[in-house]
Amino acid sequence: MAIRFEDQNEDLRRIVLSGRLDTAGSEEIARQFAELTRSSKGVVVYLSEVKFLSSMAISMLVKGAKAVEAMGGRLALHVAENEVIIRTLEATGVNELIPTFEDAQHAEKAVLK
Amino acid sequence: MPPPAAQSPAALTIRADTWDARRASGWLESAALAQNVPLEQIVRLDHCLDETLANVIRHGGPTALSSPVHLQFGVRRSPGACTAELSVSDAGVAFDPSKFVAVAPHPASLADATPGGLGLLLIRNFSDQLSYNHSQGRNHLTITVRWVEES
Repeated sequence: MAIRFEDQNEDLRRIVLSGRLDTAGSEEIARQFAELTRSSKGVVVYLSEVKFLSSMAISMLVKGAKAVEAMGGRLALHVAENEVIIRTLEATGVNELIPTFEDAQHAEKAVLK
Repeated sequence: MPPPAAQSPAALTIRADTWDARRASGWLESAALAQNVPLEQIVRLDHCLDETLANVIRHGGPTALSSPVHLQFGVRRSPGACTAELSVSDAGVAFDPSKFVAVAPHPASLADATPGGLGLLLIRNFSDQLSYNHSQGRNHLTITVRWVEES
């Protein structure tokens, strides 16, 4: 699994996750993800390259979304057409808590103030 | 009617830690592919395995962490129906996931969301059946997925 990010500008941060976010993989990146979501920017988390999403990874996303909101920002998920990830998010109802988009531009538009 | 054709089950013993859980995932994938289980069903079982082992590691207690976890995987095929069963046996605190499947409804808002219980939701969602018993100091959970094979 891998985590990388880029700040498009003062208003938008992109966090790209990839690989297998099973329990072990989620533990590896949780600290960095938490640091990246202590931000008042709009944050889009790209999940299109993720092959597996565990409950620990989903908890990480929820905590991140709460952290961004607490700082006055917004967080959205980009899932493209990744059916495994979409099904996993739907199973837990997290797609109804965190704005989730198949289209990246829509995701970025949703988090910009 | 002939009984369903069953191949010899595959077995693996691991430690109760996250790295061996990942090793178990690789074993499951190999065993399932060797028995021509469709990828979609392997993904379902893989989620169930990861979440089950995570529960053992997080909530099973000291005995769970110091005792081996036994895994077994097998496939049965009969005309019109296929079944794959993954069994997980651990020495942790007695816990029946099948009793906890009707968990609380999804939270209404992000503020109401709590991190607990998501793993059980996933196990329920990705499995077709859960069977549990506790004997000789061990939890025995069998996770079943079913599918129809195209002829």
